[in-house]
Amino acid sequence: MIRHLAILALAGFILLPLVQAVILSFTATLPGEDVVKGTFGLMNYRAVLAAPELQAAMVNSAVYVVLNVVLCILVALPAAYALARYRFVGDRHFLLAILVFRVTPPVVLSLPIFILFSQLGLVNSPVGIALVHCLFNLPVAIWILESFIRSVPPEFDETAFLDGHSGPSFFIRHMIPEIAPGIGVAAFFCFIFSWVEVVFARILTVTGGKPITMAIQAMFSFQTDIGMVMAMTCLSLVPGVALIWFVRNHIARGFTLRA
Amino acid sequence: MRPHDNRAWFLLLPALTLLGVVGALPMLAIFNYGFHDIFTLKDVHWVGVDWFADILGSDRFLASLGRSLLFSALALGIQVPLGVGVALLLLTYGRREVWGLMLVSLPLVVPWNMIPMLWLGLIQPETGLLGPGLAAVGFDWKFTGWHTWALILVVDTWHWLGLVVVLAYAGLSSIPPAYGQAAAIDGASRWAVFRFIELPKIAGALSVVLLLRFVDSFMIYTEAFAINAGGPSDATRFLSLELGEEIKGFSYGQAAARATLYFLIVLAVVWAFVVATRRPE
Repeated sequence: MIRHLAILALAGFILLPLVQAVILSFTATLPGEDVVKGTFGLMNYRAVLAAPELQAAMVNSAVYVVLNVVLCILVALPAAYALARYRFVGDRHFLLAILVFRVTPPVVLSLPIFILFSQLGLVNSPVGIALVHCLFNLPVAIWILESFIRSVPPEFDETAFLDGHSGPSFFIRHMIPEIAPGIGVAAFFCFIFSWVEVVFARILTVTGGKPITMAIQAMFSFQTDIGMVMAMTCLSLVPGVALIWFVRNHIARGFTLRA
Repeated sequence: MRPHDNRAWFLLLPALTLLGVVGALPMLAIFNYGFHDIFTLKDVHWVGVDWFADILGSDRFLASLGRSLLFSALALGIQVPLGVGVALLLLTYGRREVWGLMLVSLPLVVPWNMIPMLWLGLIQPETGLLGPGLAAVGFDWKFTGWHTWALILVVDTWHWLGLVVVLAYAGLSSIPPAYGQAAAIDGASRWAVFRFIELPKIAGALSVVLLLRFVDSFMIYTEAFAINAGGPSDATRFLSLELGEEIKGFSYGQAAARATLYFLIVLAVVWAFVVATRRPE
Protein backbone atom coordinates (compact mmCIF):
# COMPACT_ATOMS: atom_id res chain seq x y z
CA MET A 1 0.00 0.00 0.00
CA ILE A 2 2.70 2.47 1.03
CA ARG A 3 4.76 1.66 -2.01
CA HIS A 4 1.79 2.33 -4.30
CA LEU A 5 1.34 5.71 -2.65
CA ALA A 6 5.04 6.44 -3.06
CA ILE A 7 4.86 5.61 -6.78
CA LEU A 8 1.77 7.81 -7.15
CA ALA A 9 3.52 10.70 -5.40
CA LEU A 10 6.52 10.25 -7.69
CA ALA A 11 4.33 10.18 -10.79
CA GLY A 12 2.55 13.33 -9.61
CA PHE A 13 5.83 15.13 -8.99
CA ILE A 14 7.25 14.18 -12.40
CA LEU A 15 4.08 14.76 -14.42
CA LEU A 16 2.70 17.93 -12.80
CA PRO A 17 4.77 20.49 -14.76
CA LEU A 18 4.25 18.52 -17.97
CA VAL A 19 0.49 18.29 -17.44
CA GLN A 20 0.28 22.04 -17.04
CA ALA A 21 2.31 22.51 -20.23
CA VAL A 22 0.05 20.16 -22.18
CA ILE A 23 -3.11 21.87 -20.93
CA LEU A 24 -1.78 25.33 -21.79
CA SER A 25 -0.68 24.15 -25.22
CA PHE A 26 -4.33 23.40 -26.06
CA THR A 27 -5.61 26.69 -24.64
CA ALA A 28 -5.88 30.05 -26.37
CA THR A 29 -3.91 32.28 -24.01
CA LEU A 30 -4.12 35.47 -26.06
CA PRO A 31 -7.34 36.73 -27.62
CA GLY A 32 -7.06 36.27 -31.40
CA GLU A 33 -9.18 37.39 -34.35
CA ASP A 34 -11.62 34.53 -34.22
CA VAL A 35 -10.89 32.78 -30.90
CA VAL A 36 -11.92 33.84 -27.43
CA LYS A 37 -9.24 33.68 -24.74
CA GLY A 38 -9.47 30.43 -22.82
CA THR A 39 -11.01 28.22 -25.50
CA PHE A 40 -9.65 24.73 -25.98
CA GLY A 41 -8.41 23.55 -29.34
CA LEU A 42 -5.52 22.93 -31.65
CA MET A 43 -5.00 26.61 -32.55
CA ASN A 44 -1.57 26.85 -30.89
CA TYR A 45 -0.26 23.82 -32.74
CA ARG A 46 -1.62 25.17 -36.02
CA ALA A 47 0.07 28.52 -35.36
CA VAL A 48 3.39 26.85 -34.48
CA LEU A 49 3.41 24.62 -37.53
CA ALA A 50 2.53 27.60 -39.77
CA ALA A 51 5.35 29.85 -38.53
CA PRO A 52 8.32 29.71 -40.94
CA GLU A 53 10.97 30.51 -38.30
CA LEU A 54 9.69 27.69 -36.09
CA GLN A 55 9.67 25.25 -39.01
CA ALA A 56 13.26 26.23 -39.74
CA ALA A 57 14.14 25.71 -36.06
CA MET A 58 12.78 22.17 -36.13
CA VAL A 59 14.84 21.39 -39.22
CA ASN A 60 17.95 22.94 -37.63
CA SER A 61 17.50 20.91 -34.45
CA ALA A 62 16.97 17.69 -36.36
CA VAL A 63 20.02 18.35 -38.56
CA TYR A 64 22.46 19.14 -35.77
CA VAL A 65 21.30 16.30 -33.51
CA VAL A 66 21.45 13.68 -36.25
CA LEU A 67 24.87 14.93 -37.35
CA ASN A 68 26.10 14.86 -33.79
CA VAL A 69 24.83 11.35 -33.07
CA VAL A 70 26.23 9.92 -36.33
CA LEU A 71 29.58 11.62 -35.83
CA CYS A 72 29.85 10.47 -32.21
CA ILE A 73 29.03 6.85 -33.01
CA LEU A 74 31.36 6.69 -36.02
CA VAL A 75 34.28 8.18 -34.11
CA ALA A 76 33.56 6.33 -30.87
CA LEU A 77 33.34 2.83 -32.41
CA PRO A 78 37.04 2.37 -33.26
CA ALA A 79 38.11 4.10 -30.04
CA ALA A 80 35.81 1.88 -27.96
CA TYR A 81 37.11 -1.21 -29.75
CA ALA A 82 40.73 -0.22 -29.07
CA LEU A 83 39.99 0.38 -25.38
CA ALA A 84 38.01 -2.84 -25.00
CA ARG A 85 40.51 -5.14 -26.72
CA TYR A 86 44.01 -3.74 -26.19
CA ARG A 87 46.24 -2.28 -23.55
CA PHE A 88 48.58 0.45 -24.77
CA VAL A 89 50.80 3.22 -23.51
CA GLY A 90 48.57 6.01 -22.21
CA ASP A 91 45.22 4.22 -22.35
CA ARG A 92 44.34 5.30 -18.82
CA HIS A 93 45.37 8.87 -19.56
CA PHE A 94 43.05 8.87 -22.53
CA LEU A 95 40.18 7.68 -20.33
CA LEU A 96 41.00 10.36 -17.79
CA ALA A 97 41.07 13.00 -20.54
CA ILE A 98 37.65 12.09 -21.92
CA LEU A 99 36.24 12.08 -18.39
CA VAL A 100 37.58 15.61 -17.89
CA PHE A 101 36.05 16.75 -21.18
CA ARG A 102 32.72 15.18 -20.27
CA VAL A 103 32.43 17.09 -17.01
CA THR A 104 33.90 20.43 -18.08
CA PRO A 105 30.99 22.88 -17.81
CA PRO A 106 30.00 24.37 -21.20
CA VAL A 107 29.95 27.86 -19.75
CA VAL A 108 33.71 27.56 -19.07
CA LEU A 109 34.48 26.87 -22.74
CA SER A 110 31.78 28.99 -24.36
CA LEU A 111 33.99 32.03 -25.00
CA PRO A 112 36.93 30.42 -26.88
CA ILE A 113 34.55 28.06 -28.69
CA PHE A 114 32.72 31.07 -30.05
CA ILE A 115 35.94 32.80 -31.15
CA LEU A 116 37.36 29.61 -32.69
CA PHE A 117 34.16 28.68 -34.50
CA SER A 118 33.60 32.17 -35.86
CA GLN A 119 37.09 31.98 -37.40
CA LEU A 120 36.20 28.60 -38.90
CA GLY A 121 32.92 29.98 -40.23
CA LEU A 122 30.85 27.58 -38.13
CA VAL A 123 28.73 30.13 -36.28
CA ASN A 124 24.99 30.24 -37.09
CA SER A 125 25.14 26.78 -38.60
CA PRO A 126 23.88 23.44 -37.25
CA VAL A 127 27.29 21.91 -38.12
CA GLY A 128 28.98 24.03 -35.45
CA ILE A 129 26.59 22.85 -32.73
CA ALA A 130 26.92 19.24 -33.89
CA LEU A 131 30.72 19.45 -33.60
CA VAL A 132 30.88 21.15 -30.24
CA HIS A 133 28.37 18.77 -28.64
CA CYS A 134 30.85 15.96 -29.34
CA LEU A 135 32.81 17.41 -26.44
CA PHE A 136 30.46 15.82 -23.91
CA ASN A 137 28.79 13.16 -26.10
CA LEU A 138 31.86 11.43 -27.50
CA PRO A 139 33.05 10.34 -24.03
CA VAL A 140 29.59 8.99 -23.22
CA ALA A 141 29.45 7.09 -26.53
CA ILE A 142 32.94 5.65 -25.95
CA TRP A 143 32.04 4.44 -22.43
CA ILE A 144 28.80 2.80 -23.49
CA LEU A 145 30.20 1.14 -26.64
CA GLU A 146 33.31 0.00 -24.77
CA SER A 147 31.22 -1.79 -22.15
CA PHE A 148 29.17 -3.51 -24.87
CA ILE A 149 32.21 -4.56 -26.94
CA ARG A 150 33.91 -5.84 -23.80
CA SER A 151 30.98 -8.16 -23.12
CA VAL A 152 31.57 -9.82 -26.53
CA PRO A 153 34.21 -12.55 -26.00
CA PRO A 154 37.52 -11.97 -27.90
CA GLU A 155 37.08 -15.41 -29.51
CA PHE A 156 34.28 -13.83 -31.53
CA ASP A 157 36.85 -11.56 -33.25
CA GLU A 158 39.36 -14.37 -33.73
CA THR A 159 36.83 -16.65 -35.40
CA ALA A 160 35.88 -13.91 -37.83
CA PHE A 161 39.53 -13.24 -38.66
CA LEU A 162 40.13 -16.96 -39.24
CA ASP A 163 37.16 -16.91 -41.61
CA GLY A 164 39.13 -14.40 -43.64
CA HIS A 165 37.45 -11.14 -42.63
CA SER A 166 39.72 -8.11 -42.60
CA GLY A 167 39.37 -5.32 -40.00
CA PRO A 168 36.72 -3.10 -41.62
CA SER A 169 34.60 -5.92 -43.02
CA PHE A 170 34.69 -7.71 -39.65
CA PHE A 171 33.55 -4.53 -37.98
CA ILE A 172 30.65 -3.86 -40.33
CA ARG A 173 29.42 -7.42 -40.81
CA HIS A 174 30.03 -8.91 -37.37
CA MET A 175 30.80 -6.48 -34.59
CA ILE A 176 28.20 -3.82 -35.35
CA PRO A 177 25.24 -6.25 -35.56
CA GLU A 178 26.51 -7.93 -32.38
CA ILE A 179 26.47 -4.72 -30.34
CA ALA A 180 23.42 -3.12 -31.99
CA PRO A 181 21.62 -2.55 -28.66
CA GLY A 182 24.73 -0.77 -27.39
CA ILE A 183 24.72 1.51 -30.40
CA GLY A 184 21.06 2.21 -29.69
CA VAL A 185 21.75 3.11 -26.06
CA ALA A 186 24.74 5.27 -27.01
CA ALA A 187 22.66 7.05 -29.65
CA PHE A 188 19.90 7.59 -27.10
CA PHE A 189 22.18 9.24 -24.55
CA CYS A 190 23.94 11.32 -27.23
CA PHE A 191 20.57 12.40 -28.56
CA ILE A 192 19.15 13.56 -25.24
CA PHE A 193 22.30 15.33 -24.03
CA SER A 194 22.55 17.13 -27.37
CA TRP A 195 18.84 17.89 -27.83
CA VAL A 196 18.47 19.61 -24.44
CA GLU A 197 21.76 21.52 -24.31
CA VAL A 198 21.40 25.30 -24.48
CA VAL A 199 24.63 27.06 -23.50
CA PHE A 200 26.60 26.16 -26.64
CA ALA A 201 23.47 26.24 -28.78
CA ARG A 202 22.85 29.83 -27.69
CA ILE A 203 26.38 31.12 -28.10
CA LEU A 204 26.80 29.55 -31.55
CA THR A 205 23.53 30.82 -33.05
CA VAL A 206 23.71 34.59 -32.95
CA THR A 207 21.53 35.53 -35.90
CA GLY A 208 20.57 32.32 -37.68
CA GLY A 209 20.56 28.55 -37.55
CA LYS A 210 18.61 28.64 -34.31
CA PRO A 211 17.50 25.24 -32.97
CA ILE A 212 14.13 24.67 -31.28
CA THR A 213 15.42 25.62 -27.83
CA MET A 214 16.55 29.05 -29.00
CA ALA A 215 13.46 29.56 -31.16
CA ILE A 216 11.30 29.08 -28.06
CA GLN A 217 13.47 31.58 -26.20
CA ALA A 218 12.89 34.06 -29.03
CA MET A 219 9.10 33.71 -28.67
CA PHE A 220 9.18 35.58 -25.38
CA SER A 221 8.34 39.22 -25.92
CA PHE A 222 6.28 42.05 -24.45
CA GLN A 223 3.10 40.07 -25.06
CA THR A 224 4.07 36.42 -25.01
CA ASP A 225 1.63 33.89 -26.40
CA ILE A 226 2.33 31.35 -23.67
CA GLY A 227 0.01 28.79 -25.24
CA MET A 228 2.10 28.83 -28.38
CA VAL A 229 5.31 28.56 -26.33
CA MET A 230 3.90 25.51 -24.58
CA ALA A 231 2.76 23.96 -27.87
CA MET A 232 6.30 24.34 -29.19
CA THR A 233 7.70 22.91 -25.95
CA CYS A 234 5.39 19.89 -26.18
CA LEU A 235 6.46 19.32 -29.78
CA SER A 236 10.11 19.50 -28.74
CA LEU A 237 9.49 16.63 -26.31
CA VAL A 238 8.11 14.26 -28.94
CA PRO A 239 11.42 12.88 -30.34
CA GLY A 240 12.84 12.36 -26.85
CA VAL A 241 9.76 10.55 -25.63
CA ALA A 242 9.74 8.39 -28.76
CA LEU A 243 13.39 7.47 -28.18
CA ILE A 244 12.71 6.58 -24.54
CA TRP A 245 10.04 4.22 -25.85
CA PHE A 246 12.44 2.57 -28.32
CA VAL A 247 15.25 1.96 -25.85
CA ARG A 248 13.02 1.22 -22.85
CA ASN A 249 14.28 -2.34 -22.45
CA HIS A 250 17.94 -1.36 -22.71
CA ILE A 251 17.86 1.97 -20.92
CA ALA A 252 19.15 0.45 -17.70
CA ARG A 253 22.35 -0.75 -19.36
CA GLY A 254 23.33 2.89 -18.91
CA PHE A 255 26.99 3.70 -18.85
CA THR A 256 29.74 2.15 -16.84
CA LEU A 257 32.58 4.57 -16.64
CA ARG A 258 36.17 3.43 -16.68
CA ALA A 259 39.05 5.68 -15.73
CA MET B 1 44.19 -10.38 -20.24
CA ARG B 2 44.10 -7.94 -23.09
CA PRO B 3 47.17 -7.92 -25.38
CA HIS B 4 49.52 -4.94 -25.32
CA ASP B 5 49.63 -3.18 -28.69
CA ASN B 6 50.47 0.47 -29.19
CA ARG B 7 49.03 0.46 -32.69
CA ALA B 8 45.64 0.79 -30.95
CA TRP B 9 46.34 4.51 -30.89
CA PHE B 10 45.50 4.61 -34.61
CA LEU B 11 41.94 3.63 -33.71
CA LEU B 12 41.82 6.55 -31.27
CA LEU B 13 42.99 9.09 -33.86
CA PRO B 14 39.54 10.27 -35.03
CA ALA B 15 38.37 10.74 -31.45
CA LEU B 16 41.60 12.54 -30.51
CA THR B 17 41.35 14.89 -33.49
CA LEU B 18 37.76 15.79 -32.72
CA LEU B 19 38.35 16.32 -29.00
CA GLY B 20 41.50 18.28 -29.80
CA VAL B 21 39.55 20.80 -31.87
CA VAL B 22 36.50 21.22 -29.66
CA GLY B 23 38.17 20.58 -26.30
CA ALA B 24 41.93 20.99 -26.04
CA LEU B 25 42.29 23.97 -28.37
CA PRO B 26 39.64 26.12 -26.62
CA MET B 27 41.13 25.08 -23.28
CA LEU B 28 44.57 26.36 -24.33
CA ALA B 29 42.98 29.58 -25.56
CA ILE B 30 41.30 30.04 -22.17
CA PHE B 31 44.61 29.59 -20.32
CA ASN B 32 46.22 32.14 -22.62
CA TYR B 33 43.43 34.75 -22.38
CA GLY B 34 43.45 34.49 -18.60
CA PHE B 35 46.82 36.23 -18.46
CA HIS B 36 45.74 39.11 -20.70
CA ASP B 37 43.54 42.16 -20.61
CA ILE B 38 41.39 41.97 -23.71
CA PHE B 39 39.71 45.09 -25.09
CA THR B 40 39.18 43.69 -28.56
CA LEU B 41 40.79 40.66 -30.15
CA LYS B 42 43.33 43.05 -31.74
CA ASP B 43 44.03 45.00 -28.57
CA VAL B 44 45.43 42.60 -25.99
CA HIS B 45 47.76 43.35 -23.09
CA TRP B 46 49.73 41.01 -20.88
CA VAL B 47 48.69 41.37 -17.24
CA GLY B 48 50.27 38.28 -15.72
CA VAL B 49 48.40 36.77 -12.81
CA ASP B 50 46.49 39.95 -11.92
CA TRP B 51 43.08 38.54 -12.77
CA PHE B 52 43.71 35.40 -10.75
CA ALA B 53 44.85 37.43 -7.76
CA ASP B 54 41.80 39.70 -8.06
CA ILE B 55 39.34 36.83 -8.21
CA LEU B 56 40.90 34.69 -5.51
CA GLY B 57 41.26 37.68 -3.19
CA SER B 58 37.66 38.87 -3.52
CA ASP B 59 35.04 38.07 -0.91
CA ARG B 60 32.44 37.71 -3.63
CA PHE B 61 34.30 34.76 -5.15
CA LEU B 62 34.59 32.99 -1.81
CA ALA B 63 30.92 33.64 -1.04
CA SER B 64 29.86 32.24 -4.44
CA LEU B 65 32.14 29.25 -3.97
CA GLY B 66 30.51 28.59 -0.61
CA ARG B 67 27.02 28.87 -2.11
CA SER B 68 27.90 26.51 -4.97
CA LEU B 69 29.39 23.94 -2.59
CA LEU B 70 26.34 24.15 -0.34
CA PHE B 71 24.03 23.76 -3.32
CA SER B 72 25.93 20.69 -4.55
CA ALA B 73 25.89 19.15 -1.08
CA LEU B 74 22.12 19.68 -0.78
CA ALA B 75 21.44 18.44 -4.33
CA LEU B 76 23.48 15.26 -3.84
CA GLY B 77 22.09 14.74 -0.32
CA ILE B 78 18.54 14.82 -1.68
CA GLN B 79 18.86 13.23 -5.11
CA VAL B 80 21.15 10.27 -4.46
CA PRO B 81 19.23 8.68 -1.54
CA LEU B 82 15.91 9.51 -3.20
CA GLY B 83 17.03 8.05 -6.53
CA VAL B 84 18.32 4.84 -4.95
CA GLY B 85 15.07 4.59 -2.99
CA VAL B 86 13.00 4.95 -6.15
CA ALA B 87 15.16 2.34 -7.92
CA LEU B 88 14.64 -0.12 -5.04
CA LEU B 89 10.92 0.61 -5.14
CA LEU B 90 10.74 0.01 -8.89
CA LEU B 91 12.53 -3.34 -8.50
CA THR B 92 9.58 -4.64 -6.44
CA TYR B 93 7.29 -4.13 -9.43
CA GLY B 94 8.73 -6.91 -11.59
CA ARG B 95 8.10 -6.46 -15.28
CA ARG B 96 6.07 -3.28 -14.89
CA GLU B 97 9.16 -1.42 -13.70
CA VAL B 98 9.94 -0.36 -17.28
CA TRP B 99 7.04 2.11 -17.04
CA GLY B 100 8.61 3.61 -13.94
CA LEU B 101 11.94 3.96 -15.71
CA MET B 102 10.27 5.68 -18.65
CA LEU B 103 8.42 7.99 -16.25
CA VAL B 104 11.51 9.17 -14.41
CA SER B 105 13.43 9.57 -17.70
CA LEU B 106 10.88 12.07 -19.04
CA PRO B 107 12.44 15.19 -17.50
CA LEU B 108 15.80 14.25 -19.04
CA VAL B 109 14.48 14.95 -22.55
CA VAL B 110 13.06 18.39 -21.72
CA PRO B 111 15.24 21.20 -23.15
CA TRP B 112 17.10 22.87 -20.30
CA ASN B 113 15.81 26.36 -20.90
CA MET B 114 12.22 25.05 -20.82
CA ILE B 115 12.61 23.45 -17.39
CA PRO B 116 12.64 26.66 -15.33
CA MET B 117 9.86 27.99 -17.54
CA LEU B 118 7.64 24.97 -16.89
CA TRP B 119 8.13 25.35 -13.15
CA LEU B 120 7.68 29.11 -13.09
CA GLY B 121 4.44 28.55 -15.00
CA LEU B 122 3.38 25.93 -12.47
CA ILE B 123 3.86 28.23 -9.46
CA GLN B 124 2.58 31.38 -11.16
CA PRO B 125 0.24 32.81 -8.45
CA GLU B 126 -2.78 33.42 -10.71
CA THR B 127 -2.66 30.78 -13.44
CA GLY B 128 -0.34 28.01 -12.21
CA LEU B 129 -1.72 24.68 -11.01
CA LEU B 130 0.21 25.08 -7.76
CA GLY B 131 0.28 28.89 -7.77
CA PRO B 132 -2.79 29.81 -5.67
CA GLY B 133 -1.93 27.19 -3.03
CA LEU B 134 1.67 28.32 -2.71
CA ALA B 135 0.70 31.98 -2.65
CA ALA B 136 -1.78 31.22 0.15
CA VAL B 137 0.98 29.78 2.37
CA GLY B 138 3.22 32.76 1.67
CA PHE B 139 5.71 31.16 -0.71
CA ASP B 140 7.62 33.99 -2.32
CA TRP B 141 10.52 32.77 -4.45
CA LYS B 142 11.29 36.19 -5.87
CA PHE B 143 12.16 38.02 -2.68
CA THR B 144 12.84 35.41 -0.01
CA GLY B 145 16.26 33.84 -0.33
CA TRP B 146 15.62 30.40 1.06
CA HIS B 147 12.42 30.08 -0.98
CA THR B 148 14.49 30.61 -4.14
CA TRP B 149 16.93 27.98 -2.91
CA ALA B 150 14.09 25.54 -2.27
CA LEU B 151 12.63 26.18 -5.72
CA ILE B 152 15.97 25.66 -7.51
CA LEU B 153 16.58 22.48 -5.53
CA VAL B 154 13.13 21.11 -6.38
CA VAL B 155 13.58 21.96 -10.05
CA ASP B 156 17.06 20.41 -10.13
CA THR B 157 15.77 17.28 -8.41
CA TRP B 158 12.90 17.02 -10.88
CA HIS B 159 15.36 17.37 -13.73
CA TRP B 160 18.02 14.88 -12.64
CA LEU B 161 16.31 12.28 -10.43
CA GLY B 162 15.82 10.10 -13.52
CA LEU B 163 19.57 9.81 -14.17
CA VAL B 164 20.19 8.65 -10.58
CA VAL B 165 17.31 6.17 -10.78
CA VAL B 166 18.36 4.72 -14.14
CA LEU B 167 22.00 4.21 -13.16
CA ALA B 168 21.16 2.88 -9.67
CA TYR B 169 18.59 0.58 -11.22
CA ALA B 170 21.18 -0.69 -13.71
CA GLY B 171 23.44 -1.65 -10.81
CA LEU B 172 20.68 -3.20 -8.71
CA SER B 173 19.14 -5.30 -11.47
CA SER B 174 22.50 -6.94 -12.22
CA ILE B 175 22.61 -8.60 -8.78
CA PRO B 176 21.96 -12.35 -9.19
CA PRO B 177 18.80 -13.52 -7.34
CA ALA B 178 20.93 -16.14 -5.53
CA TYR B 179 22.34 -13.38 -3.31
CA GLY B 180 18.87 -12.45 -2.10
CA GLN B 181 17.92 -16.08 -1.53
CA ALA B 182 21.05 -16.72 0.50
CA ALA B 183 20.36 -13.62 2.58
CA ALA B 184 16.77 -14.73 3.16
CA ILE B 185 17.97 -18.16 4.41
CA ASP B 186 20.32 -16.40 6.81
CA GLY B 187 17.41 -14.29 8.03
CA ALA B 188 19.07 -11.02 7.07
CA SER B 189 17.09 -7.83 7.69
CA ARG B 190 16.12 -5.52 4.81
CA TRP B 191 18.71 -3.01 5.98
CA ALA B 192 21.43 -5.68 6.12
CA VAL B 193 20.58 -6.77 2.56
CA PHE B 194 20.89 -3.16 1.40
CA ARG B 195 24.06 -2.42 3.37
CA PHE B 196 26.02 -5.59 2.60
CA ILE B 197 24.68 -6.79 -0.77
CA GLU B 198 23.03 -3.99 -2.72
CA LEU B 199 25.17 -1.03 -1.73
CA PRO B 200 28.53 -2.70 -2.60
CA LYS B 201 27.06 -3.87 -5.92
CA ILE B 202 25.89 -0.42 -6.97
CA ALA B 203 28.94 1.43 -5.62
CA GLY B 204 30.41 1.68 -9.12
CA ALA B 205 27.24 3.07 -10.67
CA LEU B 206 26.73 5.42 -7.72
CA SER B 207 30.23 6.83 -8.00
CA VAL B 208 29.46 7.80 -11.61
CA VAL B 209 26.23 9.45 -10.46
CA LEU B 210 28.01 11.29 -7.66
CA LEU B 211 30.64 12.67 -10.04
CA LEU B 212 28.20 13.73 -12.78
CA ARG B 213 25.72 15.22 -10.36
CA PHE B 214 28.42 16.99 -8.36
CA VAL B 215 29.94 18.70 -11.37
CA ASP B 216 26.61 19.59 -12.97
CA SER B 217 25.07 20.98 -9.79
CA PHE B 218 28.29 22.78 -8.83
CA MET B 219 28.20 24.58 -12.18
CA ILE B 220 24.41 25.00 -12.41
CA TYR B 221 23.66 27.86 -14.77
CA THR B 222 20.59 27.62 -16.99
CA GLU B 223 18.01 26.92 -14.30
CA ALA B 224 19.49 29.19 -11.65
CA PHE B 225 19.80 32.10 -14.06
CA ALA B 226 16.30 31.75 -15.44
CA ILE B 227 14.65 31.41 -12.04
CA ASN B 228 16.06 34.41 -10.27
CA ALA B 229 19.35 35.46 -11.94
CA GLY B 230 21.26 35.09 -8.67
CA GLY B 231 18.77 37.02 -6.58
CA PRO B 232 17.25 37.98 -4.24
CA SER B 233 20.22 40.17 -3.23
CA ASP B 234 22.78 37.59 -4.40
CA ALA B 235 21.31 34.78 -2.29
CA THR B 236 21.59 32.33 -5.22
CA ARG B 237 24.61 33.84 -6.93
CA PHE B 238 26.50 30.66 -7.88
CA LEU B 239 29.97 30.43 -9.44
CA SER B 240 28.69 29.92 -12.97
CA LEU B 241 26.42 32.97 -12.77
CA GLU B 242 29.44 35.19 -12.03
CA LEU B 243 31.22 33.80 -15.06
CA GLY B 244 28.15 34.38 -17.21
CA GLU B 245 27.98 37.99 -16.03
CA GLU B 246 31.58 38.64 -16.99
CA ILE B 247 31.14 37.14 -20.45
CA LYS B 248 28.02 39.20 -21.02
CA GLY B 249 29.90 42.28 -19.76
CA PHE B 250 32.68 41.70 -22.37
CA SER B 251 35.26 41.36 -19.60
CA TYR B 252 36.97 38.58 -21.52
CA GLY B 253 40.35 38.47 -19.78
CA GLN B 254 38.78 38.21 -16.36
CA ALA B 255 36.18 35.72 -17.60
CA ALA B 256 38.97 33.54 -19.02
CA ALA B 257 40.92 33.63 -15.76
CA ARG B 258 37.75 32.67 -13.90
CA ALA B 259 36.99 29.88 -16.37
CA THR B 260 40.54 28.58 -15.85
CA LEU B 261 40.01 28.51 -12.10
CA TYR B 262 36.71 26.67 -12.47
CA PHE B 263 38.34 24.20 -14.82
CA LEU B 264 41.10 23.57 -12.28
CA ILE B 265 38.47 22.95 -9.58
CA VAL B 266 36.71 20.45 -11.86
CA LEU B 267 40.03 18.82 -12.73
CA ALA B 268 40.88 18.42 -9.05
CA VAL B 269 37.49 16.85 -8.36
CA VAL B 270 37.87 14.40 -11.27
CA TRP B 271 41.37 13.48 -10.17
CA ALA B 272 40.19 12.87 -6.60
CA PHE B 273 37.34 10.77 -7.98
CA VAL B 274 39.65 8.64 -10.12
CA VAL B 275 42.09 8.07 -7.28
CA ALA B 276 39.28 7.21 -4.88
CA THR B 277 37.55 4.74 -7.19
CA ARG B 278 40.59 3.15 -8.85
CA ARG B 279 40.57 -0.50 -7.98
CA PRO B 280 43.93 -2.02 -7.08
CA GLU B 281 45.05 -4.17 -9.99
